[in-house]
Amino acid sequence: MNKWKSVMLPLVTAAMLVTGCSGGNNTSTPPAATGTSGGDAAATAGAKQEHTFTALLDNNATFPYSKDWPVWGWIKDKTGVTLEVQTPSGKLAEALNLAVASNVLPDLMYMPNRKESNKFGQQGALIDLMEYMDKLPNLSAWMKQYPDEAKAALSADGKMYMFPNQGFGETNRMIWMYRQDVFEKEGIKAPATYEELHTALKTLKAKYPDSYPLSVRYGQIPDEMNMSMTVNYETGEGAYYDFDKKEWRYGPTEESYKEMVGRWKQFYDEGLIPPDFLSLQTKQWQDMVSTGKSFVTVDYISRVDFFNNAMRKENPEFNMQFMAPPAGLPGGKQLNPYFHYMEGGLTVASTSKNIEDIMSYMDFFYSEDGRTLSSWGVEGETYVKEGSAIKFKPEFTDVIEMRKQTGLQTSGTYTWIDFDAHLSLFSEDLKHAYEEAVNYDPANMQPRPAFTEKENEVISITGQAIKKHRDESFAKFVTGSRKLADWDKYVEEMNNLGVDKLLETYKEAYDRVQNIQLSSN
Amino acid sequence: MAQPSAVQDNLRKELKNPYRRKGRRLRTWHHNKALWLLFLPCLLYYLIFRYAPMFGLVITFKDYNLFKGIWASDWVGLKYYRMFLENPDFWPLMKNTLLLGLYKLVFGFPAPIILAILLNEVRKATFKKFVQTVSYLPHFISNVIVASMVIMFLSPTGGLINNLLGTFGIGPINFMNEPGLFRGIYVLSEIWQHIGWETIIYLAALTAIDPQLYEAADMDGASRMRKIWHVTLPGISPAIVITLILNIGKVLEIGFEKVFLMQNPAIYDTADIISTYVYRVGMEQGNFSYGASIDLFMGIISLIFIYSANYISRRVSETSLW
Repeated sequence: MNKWKSVMLPLVTAAMLVTGCSGGNNTSTPPAATGTSGGDAAATAGAKQEHTFTALLDNNATFPYSKDWPVWGWIKDKTGVTLEVQTPSGKLAEALNLAVASNVLPDLMYMPNRKESNKFGQQGALIDLMEYMDKLPNLSAWMKQYPDEAKAALSADGKMYMFPNQGFGETNRMIWMYRQDVFEKEGIKAPATYEELHTALKTLKAKYPDSYPLSVRYGQIPDEMNMSMTVNYETGEGAYYDFDKKEWRYGPTEESYKEMVGRWKQFYDEGLIPPDFLSLQTKQWQDMVSTGKSFVTVDYISRVDFFNNAMRKENPEFNMQFMAPPAGLPGGKQLNPYFHYMEGGLTVASTSKNIEDIMSYMDFFYSEDGRTLSSWGVEGETYVKEGSAIKFKPEFTDVIEMRKQTGLQTSGTYTWIDFDAHLSLFSEDLKHAYEEAVNYDPANMQPRPAFTEKENEVISITGQAIKKHRDESFAKFVTGSRKLADWDKYVEEMNNLGVDKLLETYKEAYDRVQNIQLSSN
Repeated sequence: MAQPSAVQDNLRKELKNPYRRKGRRLRTWHHNKALWLLFLPCLLYYLIFRYAPMFGLVITFKDYNLFKGIWASDWVGLKYYRMFLENPDFWPLMKNTLLLGLYKLVFGFPAPIILAILLNEVRKATFKKFVQTVSYLPHFISNVIVASMVIMFLSPTGGLINNLLGTFGIGPINFMNEPGLFRGIYVLSEIWQHIGWETIIYLAALTAIDPQLYEAADMDGASRMRKIWHVTLPGISPAIVITLILNIGKVLEIGFEKVFLMQNPAIYDTADIISTYVYRVGMEQGNFSYGASIDLFMGIISLIFIYSANYISRRVSETSLW
């Protein structure tokens, strides 16, 4: 409390002085914001008014916050804004709760996910950005360009409490990976279907009897694993929207889901996956993959480099590569789940004294100029132009090092990212994986409608009971403590727990969001 | 302990001479000023950090809005309590929580007593110190580490225990996939983790036993077992009863963290307890009111437990908490 006050008081007074002096002409001078061309922003840069905002930003252990990062200087040159940054001493969510409960809110707050920002927003702690769209011309233009992403950023009451992110989510991709060297050595070709996957795994098991050819981190990241598994069978791990039939469906009671369970049971029975895959720890999984006890896995895309970099030192042959996702159903599509979106983002406190100035500041990040700055940095300092193409200067070879040195792409310094900036610093293998992975994206991102508090209660009580029964039954079917012949009974049990009620909730929330007109303002 | 007779004496004197009462009170105040001053920080601590936060429990009857604060939030009555009781998982959760707590009490409670008695019989001081140190080290390992250690040791793919069983020709057992084994594994790991730490209190109680009692028993020709039975055990029985009562109060308070880290969907049957449920439903959703009401609910049941245990103990033996 005291600490905040000592920071806030001088800041608030300073800010009031600044805004007070500028008074009326402040509203009539947003020339930099209206243009999509970057040139005039630079022209007015010299005349920028200086502002200081307080901010609570997330801190990453790999590139801990530093106020000496050049990125802050670059942002200040363009916008005139200095951020007085606080980082959470423990978990971000706890720091946020504390800030909200104490009612001493920093101007800008980084929230880990939209559920959180919607909750605080509906409680009145955050600004609804939709009310300030006239101050956010670049964001408005961005929203017209990406209506789906914009709608996903809305809360149940059609308000927008968090600045939407784009581009950065690419790092969240999940892919299938395989040991290309082992497959080539044994003369096995990369499988395109689960049938071929089964044959490949069996061949490998015969050659390496003490291996478990397919190993996944199910115990550690069950939700992600469920999504990866079900998308291969063109169903969902829970309630999902079927874009072809235009309806909400429930995956785990569908026939294709049963197919999937049957296939994993087969893998389990034949020893193709570790018998304890349900409780496998990350370390165990890593050991299995790196010591040649597993040859196929599903995980975050960056694991390509993670394994190759570590293993090639001892075993130059070691070659972990992208594998096309196998199709589960005969004649089915080869798909990866749609994970490449970003949940976190910046929010503005409703108690802030500088709301309008913050809006002009944040709007900069949705301009081409802002996008280039937050993705690549500054020309001459971090990147060079070759024709129309942008390239990092040669001293930057590694994404993490680049972020550590410049502060680029760290919490609070971006909203809209050109992912090529990331891509250009990746290894050839990882670049290849990214290029390939795009080909197996689902046509649409699953809608993520925001729920009202009443709906959230249904999701948390009924949804939780259903989810628990689903997980428990999946485990039992696969390990054989329940017979697959019991499937119909299982479907009945699930329905009795309230699957219909759950679907109805999703449908209502979805329809409500669909009916919101983004362009109405 | 105040001497009752002295208190009564004072009272009698005061009643006889009402005019002196006030002066007397002042004089005791002056007399004990230093003691009061010493007690003040303790009193403040309890008032500020233990009693004041209890008013926060009103959020269990409110639709708690973090931004508006506790008092401005809307009243919802018993909504959250009803939500919990009407939950289809309520009884299985209750059963799992109670059974896990009970197992831990039945098997976990006597373990440190036995170890303390055994250590007491050890004559070699260096060996005793060694055992004590080794046995209380696990207490300082964090639950995250302990849970991963348990899972890795028990893994059927290269886990220590299964390798050991393998040498005896016992096929790999998928320990963490068997609902029937979870309670045993949990309780054993709890004992391993805390046995050394919990012996400390009994070892302290043991030092208070008068050595003359042992000498007298020796004179009477008592064997070692007899001495344990008739001297050692009665000597530490007050400590045992007190810790037992305290432990009964904790039956429902099973460590959330460890169970959560050890469970997986295959063993929800036995491993899903109230606190892990609260985490999945309450905390992940940020529903503080719901989480707090379940907590209060459990707290009240624990109070009933501890109160009845104390009542029984007061009736049966002379030792009790109050």
